Amino acid sequence: MNLALWSMAIPLVSGLVLLLAGPRQVRRWGGYLTLVASMASGLTAWYALQSTTIQLRQYLLLGNWEEGLAIRLELTTLSALLLLFTALIHGLVALYARFSRHGISHAYWPLSCLLHGTLAALWLSGDLFNLYVTLELLGLTSIALLTQSGARAWRPALDYLLLSLAASLCYLLGVAMLYGQYGLLDITLLSDMTQNDGATRLALILMTGGLMLKAAMWPLHGWLPAAHASAPTAVSALLSALVVKGPLFILWRLWSEVAPIDAAVQAGPLFAAAGIAALIGGGYASLRSPYIKTLVAYSTVAQMGYAMMALGLLLFWQHPQMHVALWLFVIAHGLAKASLFMAAGEIQNTLGTRRISALRGATQTVPIAMFAFAVAGGSLIGLPPSGGFLSKWVLLGPLLNDPWHWPWAAGVFLGTLVSAAYVFRAVIMGFDRVHIKRPDLNPDRTAQWLAMLPALLVWAMALSGNWLTAWLGGGGI
Amino acid sequence: MAIAEIILDATLIGLLLVMGLGTLHTRRTGASIALFAGFGMILALVWARLGAPDLALAEAAIGAGLTSALLLRAASITEEEEISIPARRQWLSWLFVAVVFVWLALHVIRLSTPVDSPSLPNLVAGHLADSGVDHPVTAVLLNFRAWDTLLELLVLLLALLGFRQVARRNQHPYDADSHPAPWPLLKAWSRSLAPLLVVTGMYLLWRGSESAGGAFQAGAVLAAAFVLLRLSGQLPVVHWSRWTVRLAALVGPALFLTVAGASALAGEGWLDYPDGMSTPLILLIEAAATVSIAVTLAFLVSGEEEDIAE
Amino acid sequence: MTAVSTYLLTGMALFLVGLHGLLTLQSMLRRIIAVNLMGSGVFLVLTALAARVPDADPVLHALVVTGLVVSISATALALRLHGAIQRHREDDDS
Repeated sequence: MNLALWSMAIPLVSGLVLLLAGPRQVRRWGGYLTLVASMASGLTAWYALQSTTIQLRQYLLLGNWEEGLAIRLELTTLSALLLLFTALIHGLVALYARFSRHGISHAYWPLSCLLHGTLAALWLSGDLFNLYVTLELLGLTSIALLTQSGARAWRPALDYLLLSLAASLCYLLGVAMLYGQYGLLDITLLSDMTQNDGATRLALILMTGGLMLKAAMWPLHGWLPAAHASAPTAVSALLSALVVKGPLFILWRLWSEVAPIDAAVQAGPLFAAAGIAALIGGGYASLRSPYIKTLVAYSTVAQMGYAMMALGLLLFWQHPQMHVALWLFVIAHGLAKASLFMAAGEIQNTLGTRRISALRGATQTVPIAMFAFAVAGGSLIGLPPSGGFLSKWVLLGPLLNDPWHWPWAAGVFLGTLVSAAYVFRAVIMGFDRVHIKRPDLNPDRTAQWLAMLPALLVWAMALSGNWLTAWLGGGGI
Repeated sequence: MAIAEIILDATLIGLLLVMGLGTLHTRRTGASIALFAGFGMILALVWARLGAPDLALAEAAIGAGLTSALLLRAASITEEEEISIPARRQWLSWLFVAVVFVWLALHVIRLSTPVDSPSLPNLVAGHLADSGVDHPVTAVLLNFRAWDTLLELLVLLLALLGFRQVARRNQHPYDADSHPAPWPLLKAWSRSLAPLLVVTGMYLLWRGSESAGGAFQAGAVLAAAFVLLRLSGQLPVVHWSRWTVRLAALVGPALFLTVAGASALAGEGWLDYPDGMSTPLILLIEAAATVSIAVTLAFLVSGEEEDIAE
Repeated sequence: MTAVSTYLLTGMALFLVGLHGLLTLQSMLRRIIAVNLMGSGVFLVLTALAARVPDADPVLHALVVTGLVVSISATALALRLHGAIQRHREDDDS
C-alpha cells in the first residue's frame, strides 16, 4: 500500500517543487524532472502491482482511525494497473512535450505533474466525498492546462469549467443524499448497506448524471470536442487519454459496489444503449469533422461508448469478463488516443493548418506522423493484434455465445464500421499524392517518432494480453 | 416548535428564495450582484440558525464578502447583453423545474429523520479526545479527514495557476480603467480597518482549535485585509516572480505533504500523526495553511497584472 | 414539517433554480452566479442534514467548509476567464 502512496506522492511533490522553482530553472530542467518523476512513479506502481498479486485487496484507513471515520484508501490490482498506466502515459506525453520542436510553455510541467498525482489519488480513494475533491481537482487542473493555448481556448475552458462545476455539484448532492440515508461516506461500508429504494436510486441518478457529464459520455458530451481540440497538443493527449477515465472509474465503483445489485441490473441496459448511441453519434460527428483535432476529439466521444457498453453489460449480466473488457479497453484507448493526438498535432503544426484537407499527401510530407496516425487508428478500429482488438475480442466473447445477445454484438460491429470510416477517411487522404499540401516547416522526425511510441505500445499490448487478462480477471470483481 | 422560530425560518427561507431568484432574473447587473451579496448574508444567518457557526463565519467572509467583491469587479468591465428567451419556452422550462422539484422533494423529505445505525457524529465525539484539538469541525478537517483538506489546498492552488495563465496571455492590463486612484476616505478607513482584520484573522486561527473558526476562515479574513490595502494603494506590487511569494502560496500544501510523507516513512502510516504530536502538528499545518489560503485568495480577488506577471 | 425538512426543500429548490439558470440564461455573468446558487443549495441540504442530530454533525460542516473553498476558487477562475473573453472581443471589434 505504501508503494502506491509513493506512486501518488512523487508527482505531487515534483509538481510543487517545479512551482517553487523559477521559470528559468523550469525551462532548463523541468522536463527532465517530470520524466524522472513519472518513471519513478511508474516503477513504484509496478512494485505495488506485484504486491497485489500476493494480497488482492489492500486498504489503509488514513490516520489509523476507525472504519467509517477515516478516509479509506484502497489498492486493488486494477488500481495498481491504473497507476502504472497513468505514469506510462504521463511519461510518454512528457517525452513528446520535451523533445518536440513545438514545445509548450514551462507552466506545463508542474501542471502535468499535479494532474498525474490527482489521478493517482483518484484511483486509490475509497471515500465518496474524497472522490468529489479529487474530481474538482481534476477539473481545475484540466482547465489550467487547457488555458495554456491562449485566447482561443478561453471560451471552451469557461464552458467546460461551468459544466464541470455543475456536474460535481450534482455528484455532491447525490453524496449528501446517500449520507442522509445511511450516515456513511465509505464505499466499502456502504456497499453492504444500500437498499433499492427511491431515495437511493435518486442519489445514484444524480451522481451518475454528474459523472457522465464529466466523462463526456453520450448524451452529455457536448463540451468535449471544443475543449480537447483547442488545447495544446500534449494537453489534448493527456485530457483524452487520462482525464475522462477518472469519472468513468468512479462510475464503475459506484455501480458495482455502492448500488444495490438489482438497481445495477436495471441500469445496465440503459448504459449499454447509451454506449451504442455514443459509438454511432460520436463516430458520425467525427466522420463529418472538418478539422484534424476535432476528428480525434469526437472519436473520444465515440470510443467512450465501448467503455459505457462494457460497463452496462457488466452490470446487466454481472459477467466478470466484461470487467476485463472494460479496463483493457480503457488502457488501449488511452495509449492509442495519446498517439493520435500527438500525431495530429505534429501534422497540423508542420503543415500549418488545422483543416483535415491538409492531410492530402501527408504520407509523403510527414510520413512517420501519418503512419503513427494510421497505427493508432488501427487500434481504435480494433484490427488484430492491437490492444483495441484484444479488448473488443474479450467484449464480444460472451456476446456471440448466445443468439439473444446478438443485437449488442451488432452494435459493436456498427461502431467498428463507423470508426473504420473516420480513420480511413484521414488515411486515404494521406495517400493522395496528387494534391499535396506543402509543409510550412521542415518535418520534425524525432517528434514524429515520439508520437508513434504509444501506438507501438498499444500493438504490443496484445503480447502481454495473457497477463493483463489474468490481472484484471483476478482482481476487482 | 415555537411560533417565533417558525416566523424566523419562514422569513429566512422567503428571503433566500426571493433573492436567489432575483439575482438570476433581475434586469440590471448591478442589482443582481447586490442581491447576491444580500443572499450570502442571509445564508450566513441560516447557517447560524442551523447551528453551524463555522459555516456562518466562512460564508460571511468567503461567500458574501470575497465572492461579491469578485463579481463587482467583473461587472465593472462587462456590458450586459439583454437577451431574454421567449415567454412560452420560459414557462415550459419552469413547469419542468417544478415537476422535478416535486419528484426530488418526495424523496428528500424522508431524509429529515436521523439515521440510527453507525453514526459518524458519535464516532467523532468518541475520538475527539485523541484528535489533538477540542473543536469537532477542526478535528474532522485536520485529523480525521485531513486528506480531503490537503487536496483542497491543492484545489485552491490550481485555481490560482489557471487564473495566472489567463492573465498572462491577456496583453492589456486587466482593468486599468476600473481602478481609479483611491479616494482619501478609503485610504483613511483602510488604515484602521486592515489592522482590525488582521487581528480578527489571527484570532480566528488561534481560536479554531477549541471553537468555531480555523484556517479557511482566518485565511479569508486575512485575504480581505490584503485586498483592502491593495485597493487603497497602500501595498506595493506583490510579484509572483519572487520566490518568497510563491513559497507563501505553496507552504500550506507543501508542509502538509511533508508531514504526510514523514509519517508514512518514519511513523505509523500516511497522515497518522505520532502520539502526543497531534496538537503541535495540527497547529503548525493550520498556520501554514492560513498563510497559503490568505495569499491565494488575495491573488484570486485582487490579482493585478503586475502582481501575477513573471 | 420540521425546520430540517423545510430547509432541505429550500436547498433543493435553490439547486434547481441555479441549474435552470445555468441552462437557460444567456449572460455569462448570470450563469456563473447560477452555479454559485446551485452550490449554496447543495450546502444548504448538507447543513440541514447536519442539524438532524442534537449537536449538529461536524463531519457535514467540515464538508461544507471544503465545498465553499472550491466554489470561491472556481468562481474566481470563471470570472477571470469571462473578463478575458470580454476584453478579447472588444479588441477584435475595435
